[in-house]
Amino acid sequence: MAALYVMIPVAMIIVALAIWLFFWAVDNGQYEDLDSPAHSILFDDEDPMHTAGMKNNTAQKDTAVERPHD
Amino acid sequence: MAAPLPCFHCGLPVHTGDAFTAVVLEESRVFCCPGCQAVAQTIVAGSLESYYLHRSESSANPEALPGVLPDELLLLDREDIQKPFVSTSGTISETRLLIEGITCAACGWLIEKHLKQLQGVLEASLNLSNHRLFIRWDAEQIMLSDLLKTIRHIGYAAHPWQADKISEQMQADNRRALRKLGVAGILWMQVMMASMATWPEFNIDLSDGMDGLLRWVSLILTTPIVFYCSSEFFTGALRDLRTRHLTMDVSVSLAIAGAYAAGIWSTFTGQGDLYFDAAGMFALFLLSGRYLERRARERTSAATTQLINLLPASCLRLNADGSSERILLSELRQGDQLLVPPGHLIPADGRIITGHSSIDESLLTGEYLPLAKQPGDSVVAGTLNIEGPLSIAVLALGEETQLSAIVRLLERAQSLKPRLAELADTVAQWFLISVLLIAAVVGLIWWQIDSSRAFWIVLSLLVATCPCALSLATPTALTAATGSLHKLGLLITKGHVLESFQKVDTVIFDKTGTLTEGKLTLKSICPLGVLNEHDCLELAAALESHSEHPIARAFGRTTTTAKDVSSAPGLGLEGTVNGRQLRIGRPDYVSALGHYPTPQMPSQQGQWLLLGDTQGALAWFALDDKLRADAPALLDTCRARGWKVLLLSGDNSPMVQQIAQQLQIDDARGGLTPDDKLSVLKDLHGQGRHVLMLGDGVNDVPVLAAADISIAMGSATDLAKTTADAILLSNSLSSLISALSIAKKTRRIIIENLGWATLYNGLIIPFAAIGWVTPGWAALGMSVSSLLVVLNALRLTRFSE
Repeated sequence: MAALYVMIPVAMIIVALAIWLFFWAVDNGQYEDLDSPAHSILFDDEDPMHTAGMKNNTAQKDTAVERPHD
Repeated sequence: MAAPLPCFHCGLPVHTGDAFTAVVLEESRVFCCPGCQAVAQTIVAGSLESYYLHRSESSANPEALPGVLPDELLLLDREDIQKPFVSTSGTISETRLLIEGITCAACGWLIEKHLKQLQGVLEASLNLSNHRLFIRWDAEQIMLSDLLKTIRHIGYAAHPWQADKISEQMQADNRRALRKLGVAGILWMQVMMASMATWPEFNIDLSDGMDGLLRWVSLILTTPIVFYCSSEFFTGALRDLRTRHLTMDVSVSLAIAGAYAAGIWSTFTGQGDLYFDAAGMFALFLLSGRYLERRARERTSAATTQLINLLPASCLRLNADGSSERILLSELRQGDQLLVPPGHLIPADGRIITGHSSIDESLLTGEYLPLAKQPGDSVVAGTLNIEGPLSIAVLALGEETQLSAIVRLLERAQSLKPRLAELADTVAQWFLISVLLIAAVVGLIWWQIDSSRAFWIVLSLLVATCPCALSLATPTALTAATGSLHKLGLLITKGHVLESFQKVDTVIFDKTGTLTEGKLTLKSICPLGVLNEHDCLELAAALESHSEHPIARAFGRTTTTAKDVSSAPGLGLEGTVNGRQLRIGRPDYVSALGHYPTPQMPSQQGQWLLLGDTQGALAWFALDDKLRADAPALLDTCRARGWKVLLLSGDNSPMVQQIAQQLQIDDARGGLTPDDKLSVLKDLHGQGRHVLMLGDGVNDVPVLAAADISIAMGSATDLAKTTADAILLSNSLSSLISALSIAKKTRRIIIENLGWATLYNGLIIPFAAIGWVTPGWAALGMSVSSLLVVLNALRLTRFSE
């Protein structure tokens, strides 16, 4: 039980930090647009960097398949 | 004839066969107009064609977007003009632009990707909820006007955006509400843990020191909830008490303040129950209800209400030497001379010096046909010059224009708007009076029996009967209904609309643009000579494609080209198609081409145009402002509800009576000024009637502002949209019918919710009165009743289309 005398004040400090963080997020506009980020991940596949990376990846896999168990 | 294919870009029907095609996604596609074709080609050239794979809605037709002149865009590169909305450090500039034409999430992707491909663009991000684009660029590599041009090339229009007072206020309010909600949530959870530990139900063997610590911790954590998060309840309660109203705020404030005060006492003395968690729960539940309601209403209204551009941003000033110079409207002075090219808005009130043209005044007066004007006639700011260039002497500017006079009338009208008492507040008033009475009686009785327990029992009674569910009843139902209505295409911008639908007993319609489409369409073709309907239309369309006149759009597009086309304002057009000299327009003007007698005009209603060549007349074309297809159904619904229906129009023509006859409206009045319309409304209010107004033009704005409920069409002028309580985004009157039934259902759910909440509170009173209710039971009852109310409200979201 004695540990609680330390834990409770620590919890209050953490709560204060959480509120500070929340205020920062609100002021920073993190909650202004809740739609765009949800949609934007759908288009990640169309990113030229991503498509290039995917091509590379499949190419490497193919070579790996050609030489099984060295 | 098979139904025409939809345009691959904008989805409008294609009447021109495969005149405009492009290869998109490895297939040849047809487009309705060169605009759509060009946009699609630009998108393909930027290798962003997967936009078409991912979009969920058709794109906006680029030709429907407001036009901009290249030299008007160049004005935006001037430093003094950029100053208010662009911030610059070194060569890097950043600004926010408002984008028009966004239909779905893929549009955001397209705009961002396309801009980022440009040399010099450092950052571009689009906010899909308010359609604002944040862009950062290197001013040495690319100009702002180039950015705007690029956005236009992919089919969107961008406008410089500056936060005005209202939107800044709205944003600050939103953030404040969110902060309060967040703080209440975070702190309440901690308070709950600390204060629940002291409850006897959990039977924890606490040492005295630990018990004291937990009480103090709860007190410290609850203090911000009471003084910061709940401040709006207290200020609201004070305001209502001053005006001698007992509202929900009074009730809530009483419970929160009571729980908090008792908590302080119990913390200092170390005795009695802790009700701190109840205070936190009230604050969190009520703030969430209010926040959700605010969010649902403001989400899309922000995007639609930003553009109040009734006047163009710039104009062409004629200098003494006859040359013209593009200047900002704010630089224009009274007595200056202006040049207004065809197809442009007239920026100031004035008199025509030279030029003949016709002017479209439909937005200001409701007149659906353009009026022919000649030198000496006066023109009004905000109207559209259609046919020929005009030079105008400026007589009145800004505040003194007739347009501003209407806007001022609006301010007067807003004060006429009747205030409707909200259902919940009426219930709350009776509820509060009875609870206070019961508490007093119970307190007195217990004082006689056991005076030490009397205080705690009255407190538990007040806390257990806090109308938490009661105050959630309305906001939750309104939030859910606002969401379903938005899907139907009706955007509610003011909260009272759904509740007050029930009271409406009179409805006022505007004609042009509301009951009718607001644009001329081709009704019939009667060939007179050797050519058939199709060939005649082809010839007429070729001629009309050279004109900006609203009549011209009715003829659609064609691939046949006309040469040497000239227009005679108020009379018609003349030109050569395939070597044949043609005229289209007024009968006497056409027959003058070959000196033949004017053929007999068909007796049907409408605007008749004659097409003829040098040999003789070829065909009659009938044009009409078509009635919206779903107008009769809406009128039937109104009559079925027993509403009195009025048609008030600014239009002077016999069209008004004709429409009234078609729709069987008994009371139809034409030729009304905005002031006349407002006085009709005042008379109705004087008779004790509750009025619903449906309109679209600037001339409807004062009435929209003063009516009990006002709805603006989605195609309405921006001023009408900002004034109205709701916007019919879909422009379809049939969705208004479904909206009416949702409104009815919403009211029923609100009443159910209020009934349930009162029942719960009524049931718990006897238990609280005999002293059985502990903080634990109060918390449980409150959460369950609030949850039931929310679940009941959610039924409104399950509305079949």
